[in-house]
Amino acid sequence: MKWKPALPLALLLSLILTAAVSAHGVKIEYTIGMSVEIVAAYDTGEPMAGGQVTVYAPDEPSTPWLTGICDEGGRFVFTPDPAKPGTWDVQVRQAGHGDMVHIPIGDNVAVSGSTGYTPLQIVLMGACVVWGFIGTALFFSRRRA
Amino acid sequence: MHIPDGVLPVAVSAAGYATTGAATWYSLRKISQKENPQENIPKASLLTAAFFVASWIHVPVPPTSVHLVLNGLLGAVLGYYSFPAILIGLFFQAVMLQHGGLTTLGVNATMMGAPALLAHFVFRLRNVGGKESRVRTGVFGFLAGAGGLGIAVLIFSILLTTFIPTHLDAAAERASICVLALAHAPLMVLEGIFTTLVVLFLRRVKPELLDNGAGDENRTR
Repeated sequence: MKWKPALPLALLLSLILTAAVSAHGVKIEYTIGMSVEIVAAYDTGEPMAGGQVTVYAPDEPSTPWLTGICDEGGRFVFTPDPAKPGTWDVQVRQAGHGDMVHIPIGDNVAVSGSTGYTPLQIVLMGACVVWGFIGTALFFSRRRA
Repeated sequence: MHIPDGVLPVAVSAAGYATTGAATWYSLRKISQKENPQENIPKASLLTAAFFVASWIHVPVPPTSVHLVLNGLLGAVLGYYSFPAILIGLFFQAVMLQHGGLTTLGVNATMMGAPALLAHFVFRLRNVGGKESRVRTGVFGFLAGAGGLGIAVLIFSILLTTFIPTHLDAAAERASICVLALAHAPLMVLEGIFTTLVVLFLRRVKPELLDNGAGDENRTR
């Protein structure tokens, strides 16, 4: 039971978990209309102003079809080539942080979508993982029979 | 400060996995040489939880924000357990939080784990050239906590600036990497102080918890 003093510390950190769900993950939302609008933000909610956008067409997934910059609100609008239906990949990157969203273009597709999980999902999954670590600690500190 | 998927070339990701494999093997070998390798698992497991949660706690440093990393703290307190702990923590961050990525798991583990091992060696220096004291533990705790993060930020910046894809505006990307790296300076101080507080607290209540360095190895030989 030598680790006991570390327990309050770990519990304190676990409690902060529910208070501040924020990190340097990136969430990208998109809306398809006449053109495609994407909004990129860090998971703190802070928009990725000035983030560098790279758009890849479905027929050439390794060659950039278009590059551009997000505006102050993390917004970027482009018009995909209607002659190229399929999944368009859009990557947003800034200081090595970033994400890629896969946007289906063509008939009968959803008009909006996003990457990532909701905050509730993240808190639940995080709590499960933390409990797993605490359980491991308890298992290895059990008294020998 | 996690490198996500799709940012680094495949060869770099593969090299990251190779170095992580070697460092994990070395750490586990050192752990298995201990008298009772399982003894420190509860401590390692709880600090892995702290490491996992730490990336949620962000500190605003205008014009950006940074999050806690705690790799220096893990290195100082856990010793050789810190590398596997960081690897496991990063795996769950990548899978559950999309924080980092599975292809870059090796790179991220090396980037944060290798400085953690260095922090462990720095923290052990408190016993060199004189008797361990409260002040020495505090000072070397600070150096381990701040230095562990500092070296990780350095590796992060070098990796990203070296491998900027040609289609991006390299100057803009370099500038934003530079801003992010500089924003970690206050965080280094913060993590240094936090590590000092933790090791001084442990020294006061359970000094044997900090005894996973030279003492253990000498006993087992």
